[in-house]
Amino acid sequence: MKIILVGFGVIGKGVAKVIESKKEYLKSKYGMDLKVVAICDRSGSAIDENGLDLKTALKIKEETGKIINYPEKGTNLSIIETIRSIDADAIVEATPTNIETGEPAKTHIIEAFKSGKHVITANKGPLALYFKELMDCATKHDRIFRYEASVGGAMPIINLARDTLAGNEIKEIKGILNGTTNYILTKMEKEKLDFDTVLKEAQELGIAETNPHQDISGLDTAAKIVILANSIMNKNVSIKDVKVEGITRITPEALTMANKSGYTIKLIGEVNKNKLEVSPKLIPIDDPMNVKGSLNVAMLNTDLAKEVVVVGRGAGDIETSSAILSDIISVYLRIKNE
Amino acid sequence: MITLDLELKDVPGELIRALTPISNMGVNIFSVIHLREKKTDGRVPVRVVINDIDNELLTNVINKLEEMDIVITKVNETIRKTDIDIVVVGHVVDTDVRDTIDRLNKYGIVVDLDLSMPDPFKESSARMKVIIETDKLKDFCNELDKISKEKNLLFIKSF
Repeated sequence: MKIILVGFGVIGKGVAKVIESKKEYLKSKYGMDLKVVAICDRSGSAIDENGLDLKTALKIKEETGKIINYPEKGTNLSIIETIRSIDADAIVEATPTNIETGEPAKTHIIEAFKSGKHVITANKGPLALYFKELMDCATKHDRIFRYEASVGGAMPIINLARDTLAGNEIKEIKGILNGTTNYILTKMEKEKLDFDTVLKEAQELGIAETNPHQDISGLDTAAKIVILANSIMNKNVSIKDVKVEGITRITPEALTMANKSGYTIKLIGEVNKNKLEVSPKLIPIDDPMNVKGSLNVAMLNTDLAKEVVVVGRGAGDIETSSAILSDIISVYLRIKNE
Repeated sequence: MITLDLELKDVPGELIRALTPISNMGVNIFSVIHLREKKTDGRVPVRVVINDIDNELLTNVINKLEEMDIVITKVNETIRKTDIDIVVVGHVVDTDVRDTIDRLNKYGIVVDLDLSMPDPFKESSARMKVIIETDKLKDFCNELDKISKEKNLLFIKSF
């Protein structure tokens, strides 16, 4: 199976590391000979139809920051040109998320479908803004579109609902979908520190970004709850339809108040028949949804299986790449049988 | 059989006080079960199973119990009243806390208000419990949204 890796930042490199470490396992368990025939970043593309050497690619990126420096195989072919012209079964779209425009990922995805390639992505932006349009494009070109890694990182949710809980009607989804804000709230509660102090510490540890706006404003959770609403509950909503409240007003006193009544405060994304919202909520202290640190959790309320709760790591290069690998294997197994 | 879920105050004699009028109205009590651990505000949930009675008698029983300040949260599968907790962040007192409570009392009963003001110039936090009929929940939420915008208060809800 041949794939093009679009984007070679934190996630792209994570995917390369994971594929490299699982090469033998994939061959022996699935009979899959997985080749990365192109890797693109902003500098250009490295291309080899026999498969690039991933160790070399990672080394070049670490040392020079540009994949175009890959010995002999580096070209200044743009991402779009690479997607259009190189022969591959699928692309892995791992460029940075833009929650306002969804670009350039949206264009990459559409070009991939048009040139007969399946798409696997971790990118929330285009999914939160243009879900139906992208699904229709995939259907029109009869291509597979998988995006487990876009919500909850390593925590299984989308494929869990679609495959393992098949036959169930999902009536409600509720979850803690952003690890940065969960880390902040957990720390504030445990150490009775104010928001600004804990945010600064989180930034120093790399748990919060230099510009943490998307996380603390609830927009990141909003994008994810929209993806879940559309993919699992068949809604047709976008991030603009979500009622969003972030965590910037939470104080240690508020957390103490909540504790007095047997609750904690968490940033919850929620979708059901009547609700599509992200806001801080009171969660009972002994509720399975009360997960600490930067973990994510999701509760699916189904008609037959009732409540199903999953907990997992919501971020991390290797963790998120595990979800991408799962989707790659899934695409491979489907096209193998056709 | 009809199941009534009640919430009793945790004081001696409260259970007998609740069961006596039921029995006096000619209703057979099949069983009385304590539902789960005591709730955080000290009320005790109890399930009383009675024989089938007509709607009129059932309404009389319910009214009599409510007159005695006993909360009936569920009749069979129908949840009548639920209690919700809210933590409020903002200038809770300075934005006329009396008015806030009065407006919420139109939909439910605010019980148990607790206030924390770390600094007169900073935002304060409050917590309250509201006992509310489930069919009033939507209007209650709309009122919370209105108050939130007008008074710049953040309501953190348990539901």
